[in-house]
Amino acid sequence: MSSILEVRHVSKHFQLHVQNNKHIAALHDVSFDLAAGEIIGLTGKSGSGKSTLMKCIYRTYLANAGQIVLHRADRSSIDLVSANEHEVLEVRRTEMFYCSQFLSVIPRVPAVDVVAESIRRRSGGDDATTREAARSLLDQLGLPRELWDAYPATFSGGEQQRVNVARAIVARPRFLLVDEPTASLDQRTKDVVIDLFLELKAAGTSIVLITHDQHTLDRMSDRRLHLAHGRVQEMVAA
Amino acid sequence: MITATKFARTYNFGFIDETTKKEIRRKLLKAVAIPGYQVPYSSPEMPIARGWGTGGLHASLSLIGPDDVFKIIDQGSDASVNACNLRDFVKRMTGVRTTYDTAEATLIQTRHRLPEEILTEKQIIVFQVPQPEPLRRVERYEARTRQMHAEADYAKMWVSLYESYVKFGAIMNGAGYPVRVNGRYIMTPSPIPRWDVPNLSMGRCLHVFSAGREKRIHCVPPWTKVEPLEFEDVKFRVEEFRDVVCSASGGDRAFMDEIYESETSRKWVINDSNFLDKVRTGARPAQRLFANPPA
Amino acid sequence: MRDETQPGWLLKVRGLTKIYGDPVSTSVQYTGPKFSTNICPETDAIVACAEIDFELWPGEVLGVVGESGSGKSTLVQLLYFDHPATSGEVYFRPVDGGRTNLLTLSNARKRQLRNTALGMVYQNPRDGLNFSFSAGGNIAEKLIMAGEMNVGRMRQRGSYLLDRTEVPVARMDQSPQSFSGGMQQRVQISKAIANNPPLLFLDEVTSGLDVSVQARVLDLIRQLQRELGVAMIVVSHDLAVIRMLTDRTLVMKNGRIVEAGLTDQILQDPQHAYTQLLVSSLL
Repeated sequence: MSSILEVRHVSKHFQLHVQNNKHIAALHDVSFDLAAGEIIGLTGKSGSGKSTLMKCIYRTYLANAGQIVLHRADRSSIDLVSANEHEVLEVRRTEMFYCSQFLSVIPRVPAVDVVAESIRRRSGGDDATTREAARSLLDQLGLPRELWDAYPATFSGGEQQRVNVARAIVARPRFLLVDEPTASLDQRTKDVVIDLFLELKAAGTSIVLITHDQHTLDRMSDRRLHLAHGRVQEMVAA
Repeated sequence: MITATKFARTYNFGFIDETTKKEIRRKLLKAVAIPGYQVPYSSPEMPIARGWGTGGLHASLSLIGPDDVFKIIDQGSDASVNACNLRDFVKRMTGVRTTYDTAEATLIQTRHRLPEEILTEKQIIVFQVPQPEPLRRVERYEARTRQMHAEADYAKMWVSLYESYVKFGAIMNGAGYPVRVNGRYIMTPSPIPRWDVPNLSMGRCLHVFSAGREKRIHCVPPWTKVEPLEFEDVKFRVEEFRDVVCSASGGDRAFMDEIYESETSRKWVINDSNFLDKVRTGARPAQRLFANPPA
Repeated sequence: MRDETQPGWLLKVRGLTKIYGDPVSTSVQYTGPKFSTNICPETDAIVACAEIDFELWPGEVLGVVGESGSGKSTLVQLLYFDHPATSGEVYFRPVDGGRTNLLTLSNARKRQLRNTALGMVYQNPRDGLNFSFSAGGNIAEKLIMAGEMNVGRMRQRGSYLLDRTEVPVARMDQSPQSFSGGMQQRVQISKAIANNPPLLFLDEVTSGLDVSVQARVLDLIRQLQRELGVAMIVVSHDLAVIRMLTDRTLVMKNGRIVEAGLTDQILQDPQHAYTQLLVSSLL
């Protein structure tokens, strides 16, 4: 199976000029491959570098060393560490999606429109159809009906997470980064979410996943990458 | 040299000294060369106050020669007080023959009207202009209006016409409708009625516009295109004198004055006094009439 | 399929510099963030901005953030030809495929570009609108300058734009003088997008507005950007505005760019000391 993502010797540290030039080492010499259609779960204690690694891949963080090569749909390759911003923006727009722990939506947009817009961006469609599709997905995820037209900024953690996941699912990206998708959810919804992600995988999406939840990890990941103190400890098959 | 009667002093022919006349004539040539462009000129002191026709006199006295036949009208009338006073002055300073007959005159000075009768290659008409800058109403700084003309940046003018149409239902109802000369400069034709504006275009005579107080001369040479500003869907229209005839002559198809005889009744009289006289005798001098586009 | 003879960028800026006063050869050298000043020590010339290099791609939203004296407003004013630049090159794809330096164009050509391919929304509505004209007249001005000569079409486009920016169409023939601050900004926005320009500049458009009004105006800008796909340069001292609207950001200090990057990276992983200071100052 060909790989879609190749992470090679990635290192990341933070230099906090505002705090007496404090130096924080976050990642050291991390390497791994993600095969097309595979789900890799990142595991490790808090502070081991899982989120940092994910953000380096998404380019929210600038890696200090190494390459992160994404093989694109058109068979070209891009090193996300050294690529220019315009190319990274294009990749984010077309192929790579980040579903984070903390919902980062634009304020003052109702939940249903957040999801509908994601549908529209992916496959077009008029307001009515996309909203309808958005509603059915939110329903599936168990978001109470009365919240569909409300602003997510006022939601609880679990409710925000449902909107977040919905947005990622309908985007149907080729490559997905997911950070704690089931953290604030009840057991039933957890399984719904996992099923939805597995559907994506079946359709060809490759996923890098962070989760503390053993059940999610067991059901979703093909392999697990264990990090400790910013380094790769081991990669195990699930 | 003319011998004047007052104070036993002698004046130069045409009052203005030859050197200054030469300067004004050079400015006139420049204005002819750049149709519609306002040329600054010296605007020398005259024995009448600013705002009473000094600009017109400057041009007329610089152009006039002993063989000229001079006519002067004020709002169409040869016999108004101002027309008479200025005529006396010119006659005294030059000794030339004066006339009321438009066809006979070689040099015509006018305030706020163009004669109805077609003017020929043998004639020059001088307009008295109060405010030569058509953009003054939308831009009060001279430096900026000069730049606007230089760069043909007339957007503000067009917007003011749009606003006028939106507010009043017409681009402009009064006198002094802005025009584009030779496809380049926007110019004011002086406060002549809309009726006269089309006759500036492709005329046979030279039109000189002179503003004494503002010290500017501009010209519309013969056979020059003068286009009133209009939008694609809001066109220029002249005044319509529907179903009225001149009460003095029975004529129509001329610009007419509306005169109130009492609170309720009014009559119409042809404004151009020489034209009126001719129509009364049964003559119908050659005119150019503009047909309004369909409403 | 992108035309390979055309560059990928929409706007390319190289070495853009604006100096007020009498500069000497070392004016640029001895000013900037390292010296924490814009003022040349030798001649008191003010280096408002210098050595500005960046690219903007079609449909991208670029934020420019900085404090007073950073040169951020000067930058967009130079690009909109409000002031003449001292030196530098600016290339714009719609002009000669990006081969001609815009700063060398004639005034008439610059004005034509301003009217047809650029739009600007100022912080102060008085800078962008003519209060002696009606709201509709202000929009008509932009249309006329691009060659529109039909009053009916101008009014139709004007009402559409005002409606789209949530200004009551019934007030189209009123002067913006009588409008609230937020509504004046929305008229400015209508005017700026009247000719569907590919590039829009927004200079501190919501500073000075009440917070609720600010939110509405920003939401509108975001919606319009999504709808029209217009590239924008958003100048703001407020990182929250930058976060909401932009894809990439330039951080400026004392007339220079100190850091450039994806907006989320600037906010979450700022590299330069000054950027870190700004981000940590977010309320």
